[in-house]
Amino acid sequence: MSMSHRVNDAALTKRLTALEGKAREAQKTIDDLKSRDALKTQFLSNISHDLRTPLAAIITHAEILRDGMLGELNQKQRDSVTGIVNGGQQLLDMIDEILTYVRSASDQATLVRTEFSMSELVDQVKLLNQSLAAKKHLTIERLNGDDLPLVSADRDKIKHVLANLIGNAIKFTNNGGRVWISFSRRGRNEEELLVEIGDTGRGIAREHYDLVFREFAQVDASPSRPHHGTGLGLAIARRFVELHDGRIWVESELGRGSRFFFTLPLAAPRP
Amino acid sequence: MPARILIVEDSPLVTDAFSILFRESGYDVDVAGTIAEALEVAKTRRADLILLDVSLPDGDGLELLEQLRDQKSLPKATLAMTGHGDSRTRQKCLDAGCAEVFLKPVPISELLRRIEHHLA
Repeated sequence: MSMSHRVNDAALTKRLTALEGKAREAQKTIDDLKSRDALKTQFLSNISHDLRTPLAAIITHAEILRDGMLGELNQKQRDSVTGIVNGGQQLLDMIDEILTYVRSASDQATLVRTEFSMSELVDQVKLLNQSLAAKKHLTIERLNGDDLPLVSADRDKIKHVLANLIGNAIKFTNNGGRVWISFSRRGRNEEELLVEIGDTGRGIAREHYDLVFREFAQVDASPSRPHHGTGLGLAIARRFVELHDGRIWVESELGRGSRFFFTLPLAAPRP
Repeated sequence: MPARILIVEDSPLVTDAFSILFRESGYDVDVAGTIAEALEVAKTRRADLILLDVSLPDGDGLELLEQLRDQKSLPKATLAMTGHGDSRTRQKCLDAGCAEVFLKPVPISELLRRIEHHLA
């Protein structure tokens, strides 16, 4: 071996050692970040859970008062206590949303797949939202889907997605409007189910189509905005749909309403 | 004699609220904050119904049912309360012998209706 080769070898070994050192450092940083992220997730999960307990006690005490179990209240007193129950309930919903988001963002987000009927699930979610819709004189309709094959998906998570999309449709549609749910099949072998949740509400500008699916993002983020929330609902919906290898998107026109779509794989037909 | 409800839940804030609710509704009430306390109470007074938080400081609340079954002192019905609404937790409670599973906080009118139903 010539002299120059030996020099090159030595230089190469030196560089290799340096690179290995850098790689070790990088790995250490990654491990460190991962453990910090896990710690943050655990912290958020614990604190959300711990917030729930006193809140549950507040709501229960207020319900006891509201329902006159400790003596009849006059109308003003009842209205005030009802305000405590409703405010508590709203706060609880927000805590639950944060908890769901934290779980969906962590390794705990695994799918528990079963085969179920989407039209039945939609009807269930519709029923849960009926009183809210009735208050705003909205109609909620499922336009088709009685003869659909079953989907193979995580029922709890898809229920959450539907509840969020239908809830939003109701929230952002004015009195007397319309909300609908419809299904169609897509793909070369119709192996995909397309779900549409439409409304005649205020709509979303094109430049905000992506924004609405982003964490903590709200089109109107001002403190005086008419609709409050965590800004996590659609981000969670997107995560849950993507966990199923599905897609979620919106098509909308300002003032004319919105149509949210998501896709899910249909269950393979039984032999 | 009024029916006896045993509340097994580790938060005194929550047990206070339920104690008021059940006493005002005419039931006798016992409270336990852990599985061990619940077993201790069960030695002297048999509950007609247990309202059970599934996560307790000394273990999974569902273990209590197993031990009560061994002692042949199961109540008429056990209603489970959980902080998680997922169907796996729900199924686990039903498999362990709970008559119903509620997500905390349980609306009181619904809770009282279900308790009345199970004690009838």
